[in-house]
Amino acid sequence: MNLYALPPLLTSLVFVFLSIFVLIKDSRNIFNRIFFLLGTTSAVWLCCYALAFNSSSESTADVLLRIGYCGIIFIAVAFFHYTVAFLDLKKMKTIVGASYLLSLVWIMLFLKTSLLIKGVKRYSWGYYPLAGVLHPLFLIFFIGLVSFALTLLFYFFFLKSKELTSLKRIQIKYLFLAFFVFNFASVDFLPNYGINIYPFGYLPALLFALIIAYVILRYRLIDIRITVTRAGIFIAVYTFVLGLPFALAGFAKGWLIDIYGASWWIIPLAAMAVLATTGPFFYVHLQRKTEEALLKEQRRYQNTLKHAAIGMTRIRNLQKLLSLITHIVTKTVRIDYAAIYLYTAPTNEFTLQVFRDSDRQRHRVPPAKLSADSPMIRWLHLNKDPMIYEEIKRVVQDTPNPVGKQIEEHMRQILASVIIPSFLDQKLSGFIVLGDKMSGQIYTSDDLNVFQVLASQAALAIENAQFYEDAKEMQAQIAQAEKMATIGTMADGLSHQINNRFYALSLIAGDTIDTIKLTDTQKCSPEIQEMIKNINSALEKIQVNVTQGGEVVKGILKYTRKGDHKLDPISLDQIIDATLEMVKYKVKLAELDIIREYPPETPKITGNLVQMQEVFFNFIDNAYDAIVERRNTLKEDGYRGKITISARPRGDMLEITVQDNGMGVKKEDGKKLFTPFFTTKISARKGTGLGLYVIRNIITEHHGGKIAFDSIHMAGTRFILELPIVKAIS
Amino acid sequence: MAKLLIVDDEEDVREFAANFFRKRKLDVSTTPSGETAIERVKAHCPDLVLLDIRMAGITGIEALEEIRKFNTSVKVIMVTGTKPEDNDSLAKCQSLGVLEYIHKPLRLDELEHVVMSALK
Repeated sequence: MNLYALPPLLTSLVFVFLSIFVLIKDSRNIFNRIFFLLGTTSAVWLCCYALAFNSSSESTADVLLRIGYCGIIFIAVAFFHYTVAFLDLKKMKTIVGASYLLSLVWIMLFLKTSLLIKGVKRYSWGYYPLAGVLHPLFLIFFIGLVSFALTLLFYFFFLKSKELTSLKRIQIKYLFLAFFVFNFASVDFLPNYGINIYPFGYLPALLFALIIAYVILRYRLIDIRITVTRAGIFIAVYTFVLGLPFALAGFAKGWLIDIYGASWWIIPLAAMAVLATTGPFFYVHLQRKTEEALLKEQRRYQNTLKHAAIGMTRIRNLQKLLSLITHIVTKTVRIDYAAIYLYTAPTNEFTLQVFRDSDRQRHRVPPAKLSADSPMIRWLHLNKDPMIYEEIKRVVQDTPNPVGKQIEEHMRQILASVIIPSFLDQKLSGFIVLGDKMSGQIYTSDDLNVFQVLASQAALAIENAQFYEDAKEMQAQIAQAEKMATIGTMADGLSHQINNRFYALSLIAGDTIDTIKLTDTQKCSPEIQEMIKNINSALEKIQVNVTQGGEVVKGILKYTRKGDHKLDPISLDQIIDATLEMVKYKVKLAELDIIREYPPETPKITGNLVQMQEVFFNFIDNAYDAIVERRNTLKEDGYRGKITISARPRGDMLEITVQDNGMGVKKEDGKKLFTPFFTTKISARKGTGLGLYVIRNIITEHHGGKIAFDSIHMAGTRFILELPIVKAIS
Repeated sequence: MAKLLIVDDEEDVREFAANFFRKRKLDVSTTPSGETAIERVKAHCPDLVLLDIRMAGITGIEALEEIRKFNTSVKVIMVTGTKPEDNDSLAKCQSLGVLEYIHKPLRLDELEHVVMSALK
């Protein structure tokens, strides 16, 4: 077996596997198909050449080489076709078609005539085709196509740069690299003209194909500078590592034999062992050093982001925090757009909190909210990874489906090149939208890692800030509740003062009426008599008012009594009557109907009247607010607020139900209903938020009863109490 | 003529109540505080005292305690602006021999009825 034939043969096998692999990855994609063509024709070329090198018969070699040469034609055409498709140049499609047709002509000429190949020459390594008369023409065709493709790439990269996405730009860079490498394959044309050089072009050709495969297959490409330097360092280090021992074995052989005699080969072997073990360390060290220098810019902003992430949790003001995050991201990383969306529970949406757009001219307005059920959000939720617009676009192109298109559309609407999700306890609490880097570069894996750290820190910081705001709000409510409680303690003194005023008024009016009564007005003129009569009735009205005032004060005093905790037999009627007496001062009873649906024989319960009054006061007050809310929100015709109180005995407990037809509460609010300071009241009549919390205490702790509720949003709320029935003394 | 002593820290109350009862042919005197009330009872021996509980200085109950030390016969009607049940003043008053316990604000005709029936 001709050793020179082995490398091309092995390479052709690699080409076969590579082409099949790329085609299987995605057979519908045009790029994968073009690559398949490129790969298979290259495999044909190399396989035939390998067999030709190996053959001893000139005529067999001749046939094989001619067939093999046909494979070479398509390398140029495929590369051109690939470039046209890559840049999406529809107008060039005719040229592509023409070159394929021309290729068929070349095939004919190669196989049937001697115009392109006039014969074969036997070199030391094997048979090789000799160039015919028209061969230079073919060369022009070949080089022309490849140069044309290159020119198009140049044009778009440098002149039409703005039209390219950052991904395309980095891909073009790789294509330039591929072309550069491919140039070395042109060494294969030299033996065509009689120059005795072993055609090692198969290696550059393979490398060229590998680079193109990389561009086709990978969504996220490594920075090309890194790829080149890594390759460079690798080659340098390992050439040294492997080269030195061979050089010793080759050049210094004589000298070594002189010194060491028969076992001279130990020196090269030892050298190889030492270098082989130290080689990797050198490689890694050099690689790290060069990458540090290359990626200085990236490292800089990645560091800044990491520091920012740590400092973020100290900011308590939510708006400031969000602005800071977008500011850091746009200024430090130099991104043209950044926005933050946070999850808002009541509406189940993600709302835009803040955004920063460096592009002053375009005045882009991002959407203010996104439903949490949209496919894009669900994708984020499912994958828990950053979403990159370019990648999504690729996926949709490769496997088109309506959901994918929706996701792509959404991403475009929110101006996202990247979406970084932020998770808190497995729940998606929000996400950061990033636009393009102003440098036009793509987001590397490193970048995304750092952003994810930032996002999770941001989630914590945001939760902190929100918690802090809630805490402040709660403190304000506590302060208000304190104030209200203080008024209660002043009730005694205040009502005493007020009573004194009323008492004085009563006596003054009363005495004056009395004086009038005792005075003989017969002698006065009719006008004076009339006037005195009016004064008298006015004074009587004062007395009536005074009496009413006294009743109100009595009511306040009754209510603010710290009260005993004595339990007495009381009837539901008593409770409701007492309640209505007080609640009429807070609630416009005329706006609703209070319906008592229980029979007169309803047994009495053991309870404290004052506390039960407080309980029902709260029910009616809350029901009233819910009714008003429903009236104002739903605006139904003929809507009338209704509170129905019913009761029935259940064993030794009386089950009392208070049902209203107000706005009701949403399910998620329902859980918090009994927690202190929770209130959903949107009206200005917001209470202290303590009501239901205190009530539950009264019912369960003081009375040994039970309280439950259920509510249907927009239909009504129902509280169900169970209180102990008075035990009959036998 | 029956003698009535009105003890109340409100000037208007004293003035108008006194005026009213003078028309009813009572010998009315007034005083604004508990301390002076004790003196008045000692000096004038009224038949009935209208005693306000809450005043500046000593309370009506404390004044009554003092009065009862030297006079157990004078009739006393306690006047209060607060509910009696929550403090033990009701019991205290009963132990001090109070005739009636009335609440402010009171209509004048109700006050008249209470006073006139007490003086019969």
